[in-house]
Amino acid sequence: MKTRSKKRTGTLLLALMLTLLAGCGSGSNGNQPANNGNASTKPEAEASAAATADTSSSTKKVTLTMMVSGTKAPDGQDFALDIMPKLVKEKFPNVTLETSKLPDEQYFTSIRTKLASGQGPDIYWVFPRNASLGVLDMAKAGYAADLSDLAFWDNISQGAKEDMSYEGKPYGIAGGLDYLGVYYNQDLFKQAGITEMPQDWPSFLEACQKLKDAGITPISLADKDPWFLQFGMYQIAANVVYPDEMDFDTKLQAGEKSLSDPKWAATISKMKELYDKGYVVKNSLGLGSAQAAQLFIDGKSAMIFDGTWDYATLTAKGAADFTRGFFSLPANEAGQPTYVSAATAAGFALNAKSENLDVAKEVMNYLFDGQSDLFKAWTGANSSISVYKGVALNHELFKEVNDSYLNNGKSVYFPNQMWPTGVAEEMEAKFAEIIGGRKTTPEQVTEAMDAKFKELWKNK
Amino acid sequence: MNSGTTAGKMLQPEPALKTRKPFNAGALLKKTLLQLLVIVIMALNLIPLVIVLSTSLRSPDNNTNPLNLFNELSFASYRTAFERMHFGTALLNSVVLTAISVLLVVVFAAMASYPMARIKSRWSQFLYLFFLAGLVVPGQMVLIPIVQMINSLGIPSTQYTPILMFVTCSLPFSTFLYTGFIRSGVPEEVEEAAHIDGAGLFRRFWTVVFPLLIPVTVSVIITQGIWIWNDYFFNMTFISKSSQSPLPLAMLGFMGDQQNPTQWNVLFAACMLCALPLLIAFSFLQKYFVGGLTVGSVKG
Amino acid sequence: MKSTVMKKTMYFFAVPALLFYLTFWIFPITKLFQYSVTDYNGFAQTFNYIGFDNYRALFNGGTLGNSISNTLVYTVVSVVAGNLIGLALALLLNMKIRGKGFYRSISYIPTLFSAIVVGFIWSYVYMPDSGMIATFLDKLGIPNDNLNFLGSYSSALYSIIFVEIWKNVGTTMIIFLAGLQTVPNDLLEAGRIDGCGGWKLLRYVKLPLLATSITINTTLSLINGLKAFDFPFIMTNGGPGTSTNTLIYSIYKMAFTEQMFGKASALGIISFILIIAVTAVSVLLMNRKEVSA
Repeated sequence: MKTRSKKRTGTLLLALMLTLLAGCGSGSNGNQPANNGNASTKPEAEASAAATADTSSSTKKVTLTMMVSGTKAPDGQDFALDIMPKLVKEKFPNVTLETSKLPDEQYFTSIRTKLASGQGPDIYWVFPRNASLGVLDMAKAGYAADLSDLAFWDNISQGAKEDMSYEGKPYGIAGGLDYLGVYYNQDLFKQAGITEMPQDWPSFLEACQKLKDAGITPISLADKDPWFLQFGMYQIAANVVYPDEMDFDTKLQAGEKSLSDPKWAATISKMKELYDKGYVVKNSLGLGSAQAAQLFIDGKSAMIFDGTWDYATLTAKGAADFTRGFFSLPANEAGQPTYVSAATAAGFALNAKSENLDVAKEVMNYLFDGQSDLFKAWTGANSSISVYKGVALNHELFKEVNDSYLNNGKSVYFPNQMWPTGVAEEMEAKFAEIIGGRKTTPEQVTEAMDAKFKELWKNK
Repeated sequence: MNSGTTAGKMLQPEPALKTRKPFNAGALLKKTLLQLLVIVIMALNLIPLVIVLSTSLRSPDNNTNPLNLFNELSFASYRTAFERMHFGTALLNSVVLTAISVLLVVVFAAMASYPMARIKSRWSQFLYLFFLAGLVVPGQMVLIPIVQMINSLGIPSTQYTPILMFVTCSLPFSTFLYTGFIRSGVPEEVEEAAHIDGAGLFRRFWTVVFPLLIPVTVSVIITQGIWIWNDYFFNMTFISKSSQSPLPLAMLGFMGDQQNPTQWNVLFAACMLCALPLLIAFSFLQKYFVGGLTVGSVKG
Repeated sequence: MKSTVMKKTMYFFAVPALLFYLTFWIFPITKLFQYSVTDYNGFAQTFNYIGFDNYRALFNGGTLGNSISNTLVYTVVSVVAGNLIGLALALLLNMKIRGKGFYRSISYIPTLFSAIVVGFIWSYVYMPDSGMIATFLDKLGIPNDNLNFLGSYSSALYSIIFVEIWKNVGTTMIIFLAGLQTVPNDLLEAGRIDGCGGWKLLRYVKLPLLATSITINTTLSLINGLKAFDFPFIMTNGGPGTSTNTLIYSIYKMAFTEQMFGKASALGIISFILIIAVTAVSVLLMNRKEVSA
């Protein structure tokens, strides 16, 4: 709690300064009509919002603010920035939706600062479980509202709902589902004489060797962007760490398991193998994601590990024309099934301190009603695979992986969703030493991960 | 021939009779080589910017390597950038934000520098260093306490809140420039006449001293204007409506992240659009800029 | 007489600036001291006081030493190389060369672009195999297989320093150029008559007269270097490994990625003290040089 007197002096200072501002600014700013508009419509996210009894939301004029992470649509209308405000206005004439969109790194900084200062938007974007800006943190800190009473939960897959829940109650609405996988160049595979798709780790290595022997770079990875490592690593972990111990992370959090577990060392070793054998493009530490994707779409590398969200980039037209395919990295031993690396995508959360919480909920109910124009626009714009009942798969390319996910249920989430943010970064930084040719061992990587996990977890 | 090694000695003029060197081919060659060297260096300076231009002139879905220069000439990316940024609104927002901030910076910094330059006491020296010390603290570090401070003062987060931070963060460098300039470039004598006329301090400052500060004011406007114009950090902290975004914040929307690919062609077009007003302003102000910074820096 | 012309009431002129400065800069900075002894995560509404644990963790961990040494390398190289290149360019442009004004404008252009764009372009320039430098070397027939500017532990830091220099050298040069133009021509003429060669003229005539420009440029690039953040953030994410982690980048990562705002504040305070110390020492040194020169 801040002391009263400090606050009073502060207000006095402010008054002084505003006078100064008004005096100096009037010359160039006098004809700004927007100026007055802001003051009246700004969200007062103060504690007074507790008075939720007001149900006359259909008549009262309300301005909702919404912030999401992402990139503006290159052409046509952007869902969050253009379509949603327009359609919400059509359905609720008294509601004005003001939206903004930032890339995730900037979004994280901005939204945390806004929430911490009580200026959070009414609707914002959260990530599953413990991810950065994860739903668990937001719910625990009291920034995300309990959404149990929304109308459409029956239509959302159980897994997606659980990944956005805290203590059994949903606090976020998942935007969909994402797979990690291997995008590959079918033409180059044929050229190298690979007739059968690899089903397990030995045959995957064999395929890589064939490509390499044919003078083709097997895999391009963007290790200059450290997070890129996760795209391969989590697929391996899904087949090494979790198959016989699905509750590994629960035990980890309870302190019964540790990240220096041999299974994680084995995971790191497999990844290392790809580099040791020269299957990954050389100098990958100098490539950013844009450049690694460039190699793939130009037909200079046969594979790239990436997620379903990068569909547009990886299917864009580059220097070469070829047919793409998509499969789950078979890091499993021979005779074992391949586990799909699949995780719930980010989604909407509502600000628990918003005084317009009820209105925001109505908007969400409308957005996810399964039939409105808004819903259709949403499913059309969403780059993730829908977790809403009855919505068709968005891209044919992912059909096989999607079928295998739906039919045999062998899938593992992305491990970092169960770690505090910072552990994955530690893994990336340590593993970069291996890529860079230092003498770091897989065990040293897992030890560093474990130390970071312990340091950060006690703060949770 | 080994005499004059100090500047003082060299000041003494000597007979300049046999000094003119005859014209020779060697000198011409040297001069041409120099000219060539300059051109090469300048080209190095420009190549990356040529890449920007070339990339921005591609349509948004042309994903070939940006080093294939000018393999397409299309304004499609510019059109996209222009529309999706709401260029008109964003430009207006930028102009308003930058203009108000720069105006306030000039007024506050010039005024604050006046006593620091004129009064010779330990206090004024302390004040000078106190402001200067602010230069070394990076904004990223203090962002959260700043926002909490602004919030606890009850100042709402609006389109204009970033101005507070733009002004504050510009003060250290601007007072540094102004103080140096007043100390060295505006002798106290100019004020005496006004003092004798009975003008008060305030009028004396604004009518006599400030008009003499125009060169350094231009430097302040350029140096502070550039960073304020380009800043997205404070803007993104306080502004949460896209209709209120200035250019850099609107531009940020084209930048990708881990799960959203960057639309480089559009981003570069947006960047050119964002830099264009600056380029224009700079080409008009540049000759003042050099002057101001020099005079201001004669004795820091 | 002086005291009646220059009244102490003048101090009131500093009040508006001081108000802004204290409220929005100095006071928030002092808040960091408070946070540095807590486990505040940057967004929760509660936190606990944990004494000097954050400081202890920092001194025992590897981040502090690593980021300090990276920052110092970044600073020293960008100050020395940046100033030398800037001075060389200024001397070059100060000669009788056609189109001087045009070149001067060109060299200032990089400054006008945002760091995001600059970082991206240079990633392509540095890209292995098909990047600009690699292609150029290919054309010259120079093998460049092991060229990996941003991806090798030994060169990543220097590569981003070069970008920093590239972006700022225009400003440095303009300040030097302006300084050079204050060197009186008759002085140079006199030196030439005295038989000074180009080097001697530079060392004994121009450099002493450039002292102020040098001080300004050094101070500016010193502060820039110590605050280095943009290029590690945009171009390398601190990598490979932690080889381009600067102090400010580490603070940012700690505060906003790992959500340890308390620990980040502690690191902030340590680096704050370091930056002030380094700047103060160099400014004092330069002032002494300037006076004696």
